[in-house]
Amino acid sequence: MITEQMRQEIDEILARYPAGRERSGILPALYVIQREHGYCPVDAQDELAEILGIAPAEVGAVVGFYNMLHEEPKGEYHIEVCTNVPCMLRGGNRCLHNFETTLGIHHGERTEDGQFALDHMECLGSCGTAPMAIVTDQKSGQIRYFENLKSAADVEKAVDVLKSGNGFSSLERWTPEADPDNKGAADGPYLTGGMEPRYLMDRLNKPDSHKIATYEADGGYATARRTLEEIEPADMVDQIKESGIRGRGGAGFPTGVKWGFLPPETRPRYMVVNADESEPGTFKDRIIMEYDPHQLIEGIILSCHAIESEKAFIYIRGEYYFAYMRLEEALAEAAARGYVGENIFGSGKNLDIVLHRGAGAYECGEETAQLTSLEGYRGEPRLKPPFPAVEGLYAKPTIVNNVESICNVTHVMRHGVDWYKAYGTERSPGMRIFCLSGNVKRPGLYELPHATPLSELVNRYGGGPEDENHPIKAIVPGGLSMKLLTPDQFDTPLDYESVAEAGSLLGSAGVIAIDDRTSMVEVARRTLSFYREESCGKCTPCREGTAWLEKILLRIEEGQGLGKDLELMEYIADNIAGKSFCPFGEASVWGLQSNLLKFRGEFATQIESTNPDEIGPVLPIRPDYRPNTHEESGLRDSTFAPVGGNIVLHDDLVPGDD
Amino acid sequence: MAEHVTLTINEKEVSVPARTLLVDAARLAGVEIPVFCSHPKLDPVGCCRMCLVEVDGPRGTAMMASCTMPVGDGMVVRTDTEQVRKVQEANLGFILLNHPLDCPICDKGGECPLQDQTMRFGQGISQLIEPKRLAKKHYDISDTIVLDQERCVLCWRCIRYLEEWEDKPQLGLFERGNDTIVDIQEGRPVDAKTSGNIIDLCPVGALTNRVSRFAYRPWEIERTPSICMHCSVGCNVRLDSRTHQLRRIVGRENMQVNDQWICDKGRFAHGWVNDEKRLAAPLLRKNGKLTQVQWSEALAYIAGKAAGIKEKYGADAIGAIGSGKISNEGNYALQRFMRGVIGTNNIDHRDGGDVAALPTGLPALAELMKPQYGPDPQVDTVLLFGVDPSEELPVLDLHLKRAILRGGVKLIIAHARKIELTRYEGPYLAYKPGEETQLIDSLTQAVQGTAETEGDSAARAAAGLLSESEKALIIYGPMAARGEGGPVVRLGLEQLAQAAGEGTRVAYVGLDGNAQGCRDMGVLPDRLPGQFPLDDAEAKARLERLWGCTLSGSPGYTYKQMLDSQEMRALFVNGANPAAESPDWAASLDDLDLLVVTDLLPTETAEKADVVLPAQGWAESDGTYTNLERRVQRAPKAVADPKSRAAPDWMIFTHLARQMGAAWPFTDVRSVTEEMTWAVPAYAGLNWEALGDQGRQWAAEAAPAPESTGRAAAGVPAGASEEADYPLSLVTGTVLYDSGTLFGLTEQMHGMAHGATVTLNPADAATFGVEAGSPVTVQSDQGQLEVTAAVDAQVQQGTAWIPESLPGAPVGALLNGSYTQRVRVERR
Repeated sequence: MITEQMRQEIDEILARYPAGRERSGILPALYVIQREHGYCPVDAQDELAEILGIAPAEVGAVVGFYNMLHEEPKGEYHIEVCTNVPCMLRGGNRCLHNFETTLGIHHGERTEDGQFALDHMECLGSCGTAPMAIVTDQKSGQIRYFENLKSAADVEKAVDVLKSGNGFSSLERWTPEADPDNKGAADGPYLTGGMEPRYLMDRLNKPDSHKIATYEADGGYATARRTLEEIEPADMVDQIKESGIRGRGGAGFPTGVKWGFLPPETRPRYMVVNADESEPGTFKDRIIMEYDPHQLIEGIILSCHAIESEKAFIYIRGEYYFAYMRLEEALAEAAARGYVGENIFGSGKNLDIVLHRGAGAYECGEETAQLTSLEGYRGEPRLKPPFPAVEGLYAKPTIVNNVESICNVTHVMRHGVDWYKAYGTERSPGMRIFCLSGNVKRPGLYELPHATPLSELVNRYGGGPEDENHPIKAIVPGGLSMKLLTPDQFDTPLDYESVAEAGSLLGSAGVIAIDDRTSMVEVARRTLSFYREESCGKCTPCREGTAWLEKILLRIEEGQGLGKDLELMEYIADNIAGKSFCPFGEASVWGLQSNLLKFRGEFATQIESTNPDEIGPVLPIRPDYRPNTHEESGLRDSTFAPVGGNIVLHDDLVPGDD
Repeated sequence: MAEHVTLTINEKEVSVPARTLLVDAARLAGVEIPVFCSHPKLDPVGCCRMCLVEVDGPRGTAMMASCTMPVGDGMVVRTDTEQVRKVQEANLGFILLNHPLDCPICDKGGECPLQDQTMRFGQGISQLIEPKRLAKKHYDISDTIVLDQERCVLCWRCIRYLEEWEDKPQLGLFERGNDTIVDIQEGRPVDAKTSGNIIDLCPVGALTNRVSRFAYRPWEIERTPSICMHCSVGCNVRLDSRTHQLRRIVGRENMQVNDQWICDKGRFAHGWVNDEKRLAAPLLRKNGKLTQVQWSEALAYIAGKAAGIKEKYGADAIGAIGSGKISNEGNYALQRFMRGVIGTNNIDHRDGGDVAALPTGLPALAELMKPQYGPDPQVDTVLLFGVDPSEELPVLDLHLKRAILRGGVKLIIAHARKIELTRYEGPYLAYKPGEETQLIDSLTQAVQGTAETEGDSAARAAAGLLSESEKALIIYGPMAARGEGGPVVRLGLEQLAQAAGEGTRVAYVGLDGNAQGCRDMGVLPDRLPGQFPLDDAEAKARLERLWGCTLSGSPGYTYKQMLDSQEMRALFVNGANPAAESPDWAASLDDLDLLVVTDLLPTETAEKADVVLPAQGWAESDGTYTNLERRVQRAPKAVADPKSRAAPDWMIFTHLARQMGAAWPFTDVRSVTEEMTWAVPAYAGLNWEALGDQGRQWAAEAAPAPESTGRAAAGVPAGASEEADYPLSLVTGTVLYDSGTLFGLTEQMHGMAHGATVTLNPADAATFGVEAGSPVTVQSDQGQLEVTAAVDAQVQQGTAWIPESLPGAPVGALLNGSYTQRVRVERR
């Protein structure tokens, strides 16, 4: 049910979007409903449909798509533990197990008193501080990150803090070491480093770095003020083209060139800032938004000036609640000073920035899917062409840029094109925030010029292998979707061209180091579990293929692998890559393809040692050939809930817990 | 002229219009590309990935989805290479991966694109050795459609149909990734009026027909191309039958009529055809009881009795009622019998002579379909006057919605109820029954600019749209033009069209399946076949020559007059049920010397008959029907009940004529059709063979002008005192799912039937202390009705809405043969 008060709040949310586009507010409106009810009851969904003037099924379809919207009640505190590869490498599974032991429930369950619900979750953008979990406070809808949960004691401590009611005394990330008194005390920004001086990450550790006062004291907004006064939009586009900034989201498309695709006449134009950082192994945008939000806002002001847009949207991933709050605060500060809103900096120009929270869908990081999601639909990708620059949000010309790309714009305009081009290489200019995670001593964010050798990042900055006795055997250079590099390639300079030459891609610069304690079969299986979970389901190869691959890998892990499985997996992967609707298809199998190529021996050994007689799985007689049609489908959460079969799922086995 | 581009498909050059999709270009070139999601009537989505082909591009050869890629000049495409074949094979492997392969018990089996493509392009084996994914099987997403999520291949066709055509997205994708399923919102079954089309669209057995479930195997059925007779759109359908039974109805493409869509009533409501209640033998009243007799006895009885009455009281004491539900041949034979054998013009049908119609119906349905499909639209604005296509003509509703959404057609609605189409932008003009003329007058004045229509912004907006429009079409229906006020309404609309300027046309649409044909055949008291006036010398001479008799020149009684009059001694009622319409009529039927009822099923009227003759329905005998745009279409015999002795109407009257001494030349139905083409000049040449399976429209120029009626008295305005006693104006009309026998005998649809309710505006409900669900009595000065109250803002204040033909609640009890009534509603 939607009460009068909720209705008022929803109306306020809907008013942020252009007239006639109220449907865009569907996710924030559903958050209101979920906060009140603990989930999204069908009758409230139907009422929302009425408010939005759409069919009830359209709301139900949206609720079903997004991970963070629930169809049944969760606990007072909803704990979700990341088990994706970067966390897995640092004990994510054990962390989940520790939560299970501490709470006395299995994941996917709720404690009897309804206080805690436990689930596993895909990458939460906290790879440098793994293992970790997020906790949602149902009553307020707030989310807090609980990080560095290395031991059972850490997990117990986190649960104690929550039980004591101090869990949400701050929204800043929580670590056991920063909270000696169990008061829920905040920890500051996580580990950052790199070259000196740094630009993108220069201010993060300063006190009150997120406040407009300190930002302006450090020279912030001067560039925007000057640029709006002195530089014509077209000239600014030329400068950005000249600087050669390339997109930091993953594809590396030159930002200025993208801007140049806008059709000259059509208005309005929209800017959408892609802050849906979801590529496993990537956690750079989060820290900028949390600790230096004005850097991003100034970048948006500059970019909107260049592309002559008066409305920008920041599409931030739903789990980044603290970043969301910080951005909201920062936007209010900027508005109070007249930097956003009407007549900004007295230039006569207007700029409205709408902060929009996603709700848990990796696919929404893909630009067309993000626009579909922002319009209030399931985050499914669209056909290209038309490209967003021509027909994007609300079928109007739209530029979608990554947070870090936009921040680069600020620095290019501040320091000049030549300064920027002095870093990196000709075709990969500028500096980059490398997200280092996995089996290294000092995982964290390192700002370095492009073309810094991979080994320098891992050894000099990352401190080398986590355990000296266990050398690193594989590195993912650009987020989990990218192909693996092996030790012979560790000297590859980290720029777009060199990494591509090495057979992978720089992607989002999420560098994940894997040491020899880890089974590559497990890496492959966990990777495919992620893609199976996050596939949007629109096209056949990706929807069916990723799940099939996961099933095979699970079977191999469980000791029922067959020799022919390797060719079969290659066959499946070949028929996903390049055959799917959007680039997700490639992304889902590149890792597996390179894994099978480079670590084939590990797969073969696993199969031979566990199933020497090549005995196939015992197919259960279909347990329920015609399920009772009146019962809810039990097919929701998946990796951890057996899907119809009786195979033992890997996830119930925790390393060291035989 | 569309620009053409030339491309090469499989080494063959083809030239196709620019922007054609590759998959369609290939089809034009005779190359088949397998598809699941792609459908020529739906927007491309590109999700099944079955149609990948090799396309040479600047960066080498790539596999591209041909269903989303527009052709380009000089494009080189290959669809038959090893790579394409392998990808098709692999993709089918993906599609079938979790498919339950329950083809033996699947209704789609045998006509399933998934089966066919698997045979042609598939691998033949599955490499999956893990358990399959499970989902919901055979569960009802509405009373008529069953969904099997395991069979679904997620092609989005059903979702897109409901979105793009119905504009009612009641199905959607739920969940995500591998768990993605098609589903309804919990508790919200699909209720779009043409939802059954998603069954035809489904390329697998995921959506099946609940009414026809397990009733046929595709390879065992006989398929008869036919048309639907539930309403006057005349949608083309296919009747699938086996062992003398109608098993299923599916849509059949006719781009002039229904595209390829049909409504749910047309698709599902065919239970009556094989119902055991069907009349199967002639019945004669003996000792007060209807008793089964031989045809010869029944016919001899009727002939003798009719001859006696004619001799005693004259021919004009005998009347006949035809029906817009029966074929041209049946109606033609009936009126020839009355005019040629009995010698009277007492021949009419419901919504016949009592309605001020126009002779030619819609200019063409294609004109309303054209805007959605391409350039040169013939209609830019539509004014619906007293018609509710959503309930009365569902496929016209579909065309209109599409024309509005895709063709930019503007819509104006004038109706006593805020009908469903008012959800589209456009002025809505409310009126109360009997006030039609005032509304038309003020609208005309507003268009002419002679009067200030202050305060009424809707009327101003409507007038503005009509004035701006260059190709407006005004469509009115029988509800707006019945009774004495009818001619005034018709004249008013014609004047309005004139005022709106050249290019504005007025069209009358009847509602019954053969409403137009009934008029064309002269089942009217003042019109001969071809709709010629009785005094049209040429028409009269032609018919007298053809029939070998002399025709009476005096106008007959209308439907209402025949039933109201005390002078009628004998009545032939064909496919009509006046006894249910009015208590007075029911009583007067008892007083007749001879009542002959010819029908498919027992009715209230048949209960009173002296003779009941069993007729064959549209599926059981050849016949032609004329739809609302004058398209004459064939409905061939599809089924026959070997146990039934029912006969087609034309045959009954041919035999009766013979009994009464007339020698008609009809040997079979074709000869009746042939004679019709001579009797009705507009039908010249439209014999059975010429009609083909897409029908032919007769030329509107061939119709005589409608009589121009002077300004007669308008509808009877209610007196002030009456208003105090009966504060509400009764609004009635047709709903799609009523409790008429043709709908009610399909038991699967019972849940969909309109309840026995009176619907009030919330404000009125509050005034009378009535809530939704309250048992109430509705009272007019003619009678009363006990029903349940419903409350809906779509019903305007000051009115009470009771549809016709509700179960146990005949609104005729309140109307008693009149067209407008005031009522009061009280809690019981």
